[in-house]
Amino acid sequence: MLNAMKNTKTKKYWKNSEDFINGKQSHSSDEFRPDEEFAPSFENGVSRRTFMALVSASMAVGAVACRRPDHRLVPTVQAVEYLTPGNPIHYTTVYQQKNAAYGLVVKTSESRPTKIDGNDLHPISAGKSTALIQSELLSLYDPDRIRRASVRNGDSSVPNALLTIAQAIQKQSTEGKLTRFLIEEHCSPAFNTLITEIETKLPNVKFVTIPAVSTHSQAIANNAGIGINGELVPDLSKAQCIVSIDADILGNDKFSLYHVSKFTTGRKPTHDKPEMNQLIIAESTLTVSGAAADKRFVVSPSEFESILAGIYQKISGSSPELVSAATSLKPSNSAAVTTISAALMKAGDKGIIIAGAHLSPAAHAVALAINSALGSIGLGQPLYQGDIVPNSSEKRTNVEQFINDCNNGSVGSLVFCNINPEYNGNPALKSALVKVKNRFYMGVNHNETADICSVSVPTAHFLESWGDALSFEGTHSIQQPMIAPLNDGSMSLQDSLIQVANYVQNGTIVEKDYYEFLRRTLTNVPDKNTWEKALRDGIIPAMSRLDAPIVTLNTTALASIITSNSINLSSANCFVAPSYTVGDGETANNGWLVESPDPITKVTWDNVLCMGKEKAEELGVEQGDLVKVSRAGTGSITVAAYIQPGMAEGMVSVALGWGRTSGGKVLQGNGDNAFRLLAKNESSGYIPVTIEKANGSKKLAVTQTHQTIDDDREIINEITLAEFAQNHSKNGHGEHSVSLPLSIVSDVTYKGHRWGMTIDLSACIGCNACAVACQSENNIPVIGREQVANGRIMTWIRLDRYYSKPHENSEDIEVNYMPMLCQHCENAPCENVCPVAATTHSPEGLNEMTYNRCVGTKYCANNCPFKVRRFNWLNYHKNERQPMDLVYNPDVTVRSRGVIEKCSFCVQRINHAKYHAKDQGHTRVKDGDMVTACQQACPAGAIYFGDMNDPNSTVMKMRSKRESYKVLEEINVRPSISYMYKVRNREPIAKTNESHHG
Amino acid sequence: MNSAVSATLSPSTTSTKAINEAFHDEPLREPLVLGKPTLNDVTRKVLDIIESKPNIKFLAALSVTLMMALWGGVCIAYTIYEGVGVWGLNSPVFWGWDITNFVFWIGIGHAGTLISAILFLFRQKWRTAINRSAEAMTIFAVICALTFVLMHTGRQWLFHWLLPYPNQMNMWVNFRSPLMWDVFAVNTYGTVSLLFWFTGLVPDFATARNFVKSKIASRIYSIFSLGWVGSARHWHTYEVAYMIFAGISTPLVLSVHTVVSFDFATSVIPGWHTTIFPPYFVAGAIFSGFAMVMTLLIIAREVLGLKDYITLKHLDNMNKIILATGMMVGYAYAMEFFIAWYSGNTYERFVFINRATGDYAWSYWIMISCNVISPQVYWFKKLRRNVPLMFIISIFVNIGMWFERFTIISTSLHHDYLPSSWGYYSPTWVEISIFTGSMGIFLTLFLLFAKFVPMLAIAEIKGVLPGAQPKHHHHEEH
Repeated sequence: MLNAMKNTKTKKYWKNSEDFINGKQSHSSDEFRPDEEFAPSFENGVSRRTFMALVSASMAVGAVACRRPDHRLVPTVQAVEYLTPGNPIHYTTVYQQKNAAYGLVVKTSESRPTKIDGNDLHPISAGKSTALIQSELLSLYDPDRIRRASVRNGDSSVPNALLTIAQAIQKQSTEGKLTRFLIEEHCSPAFNTLITEIETKLPNVKFVTIPAVSTHSQAIANNAGIGINGELVPDLSKAQCIVSIDADILGNDKFSLYHVSKFTTGRKPTHDKPEMNQLIIAESTLTVSGAAADKRFVVSPSEFESILAGIYQKISGSSPELVSAATSLKPSNSAAVTTISAALMKAGDKGIIIAGAHLSPAAHAVALAINSALGSIGLGQPLYQGDIVPNSSEKRTNVEQFINDCNNGSVGSLVFCNINPEYNGNPALKSALVKVKNRFYMGVNHNETADICSVSVPTAHFLESWGDALSFEGTHSIQQPMIAPLNDGSMSLQDSLIQVANYVQNGTIVEKDYYEFLRRTLTNVPDKNTWEKALRDGIIPAMSRLDAPIVTLNTTALASIITSNSINLSSANCFVAPSYTVGDGETANNGWLVESPDPITKVTWDNVLCMGKEKAEELGVEQGDLVKVSRAGTGSITVAAYIQPGMAEGMVSVALGWGRTSGGKVLQGNGDNAFRLLAKNESSGYIPVTIEKANGSKKLAVTQTHQTIDDDREIINEITLAEFAQNHSKNGHGEHSVSLPLSIVSDVTYKGHRWGMTIDLSACIGCNACAVACQSENNIPVIGREQVANGRIMTWIRLDRYYSKPHENSEDIEVNYMPMLCQHCENAPCENVCPVAATTHSPEGLNEMTYNRCVGTKYCANNCPFKVRRFNWLNYHKNERQPMDLVYNPDVTVRSRGVIEKCSFCVQRINHAKYHAKDQGHTRVKDGDMVTACQQACPAGAIYFGDMNDPNSTVMKMRSKRESYKVLEEINVRPSISYMYKVRNREPIAKTNESHHG
Repeated sequence: MNSAVSATLSPSTTSTKAINEAFHDEPLREPLVLGKPTLNDVTRKVLDIIESKPNIKFLAALSVTLMMALWGGVCIAYTIYEGVGVWGLNSPVFWGWDITNFVFWIGIGHAGTLISAILFLFRQKWRTAINRSAEAMTIFAVICALTFVLMHTGRQWLFHWLLPYPNQMNMWVNFRSPLMWDVFAVNTYGTVSLLFWFTGLVPDFATARNFVKSKIASRIYSIFSLGWVGSARHWHTYEVAYMIFAGISTPLVLSVHTVVSFDFATSVIPGWHTTIFPPYFVAGAIFSGFAMVMTLLIIAREVLGLKDYITLKHLDNMNKIILATGMMVGYAYAMEFFIAWYSGNTYERFVFINRATGDYAWSYWIMISCNVISPQVYWFKKLRRNVPLMFIISIFVNIGMWFERFTIISTSLHHDYLPSSWGYYSPTWVEISIFTGSMGIFLTLFLLFAKFVPMLAIAEIKGVLPGAQPKHHHHEEH
């Protein structure tokens, strides 16, 4: 869509309202000038219109009001002359997920953000997004955000609270005590400059990065091997064979969005080019990456290092030093090693091995040595490009130092900046924190840490604040706000820091706010034109890449890492990792995420202890029974048991990020806090725990139960790459179809458009991005644990997960995801059964739902063979708190109770696309101008949408490039959605398997 | 209207004890009325129930059923206020107890129609003792069924959108929807049944008008008796009208439940999409209807002392029908399984195996034991005439037939095509309360009926008294 809007010529933008009024720009209409009317300036007196607008806005939203920020905002490529009610404006900004930066385009409707999507021009997000990014919209309007500042449990104002903090710092400083600002990982160069300037001017003040989940192993290995104290991010699209040793690159990795889109680029074989990459994984629990793998080896955690060592020896690494070092890891010679090394050797410099972030530095060192031996780093075709995620092991030393400082009483004040160590810290850190007398909190959301602080200050959400972010490969973007802070008086974290610093010592920062600071420090956008272009495009142009990594291997240093930094995991039986939905818990109050089913377990609203069937029998528990997981020296948690196939023998796993206790209504009572199981210097990975059955059980809100397809129903169709290539030579045909004369009435002819979708089952990894994007676009309510447990989840698109086996006698399991949404059947069984004709077929092939005609007999839902129709059992908006009502897309009706709803193929977008086409003088919507919300978000590019009447449309072309089928074709409902066969690349696994399995 | 005139002309007074005895032969068949009552005895027996003061047992029963009905009403109000989400329904089981109860009640009604229409046309004179109460049950059952149709929708206040009427929206209903067919079928059924019942009641209301002492009651019966004087012309018109209604009602016995079965049969859901459904549903409806008639009449004949009128012969005959229709549904159950296997259709096979062995197997086996196994005792005449046993069996059949509908609806829905969407459904207290509420409505109406309306067709019973119609070839008749 963005591209479609690019052809409008660049307009001249004015900076502020003075320019406008002074006649530098002239315009026929003064009614809706953006700056004057919507960014009220009280100095000139309040005009009647402004007054009325403010009054009505504040009445509408209670304590908060939608206003545009005071600074000049530059909309994206779509040129907007003035605000037209009903026409959305898109702005670019950038989102920082720890130290990963993703460029975004945010849609605003009447000055409030209503949809977040990736920015096409940003190389890392590439127009795609994740569930986490999508859900930031709801976080913006979270009614549980800190609404007003408080000092010692009493209401206060933001300036007053900041002053209190500053005074305390001053006082402590005069007593010679230190002040520490604790921050999360970030990737903002300007923020770094700000930190440096504050630290320089205020000698007693230091910033310490305390990430919730941090891993240093790779940085340690890289530092030794190639002299880079940081992580390397591979470009998977260049790889032919990807081997993951317990690395959840597609799931929990902070670059998963990037990895998924690069990985799936290489997984779209066509008849012209029947090729695809291969993912082989060795892991002990089932992860999203494991689910996407072509071959999955289930091994125990103690085997990872020996497998790596075995592979290194098999591919005959050139360095004798490393070979002998690898021997110390007891190289294995298992089937996994044989298969993986064969596959890697075949791929050569297009093969890459990735070790799990939580594995030991030794494991990472061997992986580095393997990649070096393969030639997949350096030598003209680097799989690793760019840097160096600025996440180094130095930070760990800083934290150690910080804990010591706290313990010996030299720290006088702590300011927690949007972090939550009280929840996610280890016992050593937590006990150190409470030894500091003055504890202050600044943050967007209330949390457990704010509870132990005497002052809490609301800060602005990233959609409300200026900033910048630098991506690992060098793309620099400006974080542009699109709405003034909803909570009156709150500022961005950086603005608050500037205020505090200047209170402590006048003139610490010369600029009055962070915006001015940003303008000064961003030297790569010197003038107005480049600044505005940077805002418009979402990336700062002509940014030079960071240095390419050095690729000469320091074998001696690496060998010593291998021999001295191995971790014995033989007693480890529990895997902890951030949740696939709520991450490390920062977003635990976000209903869209909390209610997203975990891709593996399909559990919502809880974390569970996943265990194999045998383990459950051993413990005597059934699914939902509570179990107590404890670890000596740390703590214990009580969660529900969940029977999960695909686990290594005796292994269990539990997700972090749940069990929050303070910070909102949504997060209450959801699971338990697995951070309590972690000891010092651990933040994810394998730990030894003892598990016992606890009293009671819990009704889990699972959206899909374990149902293996034990008969021959053809829901998922899959073929191997070899079969695919063979078929190609035989027949070049695409879509299968039932061609019998099944109806006595002639088919309807669709004269104009006929919308259809094709979904690539090979690409889908089940990540939920589509589901949350749909939830955001189509105003789908969050209904709560009880309702989900009752089988009433409202999402219009769901990710069906089916387990299968590679072959009859195999013990292995394979996972298949199938995005399931309304199939817009041509012969729709729902349509004829509605007594009041509330669901009908459109002339463009859509199965349409007329909400206000629906009386709610639910007959359509019963008769839907795909069960994709959703019923509003209750009024799910009844207890909605403000300002959550601002999150809704104004183009889509918010449904009340008693009516059916379902996927509409984003009919509102279709209509917009048609208006756009008409405006442009076209008779039809151009292919690619109409994208559905799920398609737009999907990082895997698994969804194609378009006009089936146009043989040249992408959706039709895709159907001819690879066999596709329609689900339940045999009942003659004739869906408009076809699924491309899942293709698995079993070469040469199949051969080794044959010998293995006899 | 002159009551004296009508009294002299009414058939009850044309017969005398003398005539009665003179024409009484040794019966070749069991008499339909025992104890050789006179015509006057019949009138008294039936109308004394109306005339006597309500006794404590009646009042106690009425207050219990009223409480049930009122509590059901409260739960209905709660459902309308909060939404059908207060029930246990979910995705994929969008219909549960609501539609189960609807089909159950509609089925109950069928016995009344069958008895009053088809048995009438086939000259089955034994129907006379039971037709009035069976027809009343039909009407009450339709009322209960309508409650569920109205309540199960998400927006109950828009129920009128289901009716085809000219409106400002220019919206017509969807005639392709089986639910629409239901609207017509059930409305026709309710209307015809009510009129048929009322037509039969006209002569009896006239008798009651003459019989009751209270002026007000007499006035009310007078209004309902539509000026009946019992003239030959009246009788002639009455007989013609009754015959026409019987003719109209006869196809309804088949059509209503056929149409109800279309709700399921025309769908695409395995377990629903079956051509056997129409005959299977009709047989099941008659089966369940007779069981309900049995349950109520066994109580009524005990409590009201109607053993001479509702004789063992009647009960025996009804048991035969229960046995026959029970075998029919048993055959249907077997056939469903056979076809599921024979069709080779994966989904069909799965659904039926799942019925017998899956999550709802308990429901399926309750259905089989109650509907197929329990009526088998009726092969023996002795057991067909064992009142306590038949009371128990009638309750079993009621339960079994309720579970039949529950099994069909819930098991087919909870595991359909895509295993990803499978689920399980169990009702909440609200649904259970509304069901008991409908029982309350049904029983309350029945109690009021028994108290205020001639419970037996007086005129018709007099017609089947031995020797009641001397001009007929009664010798051949017996």
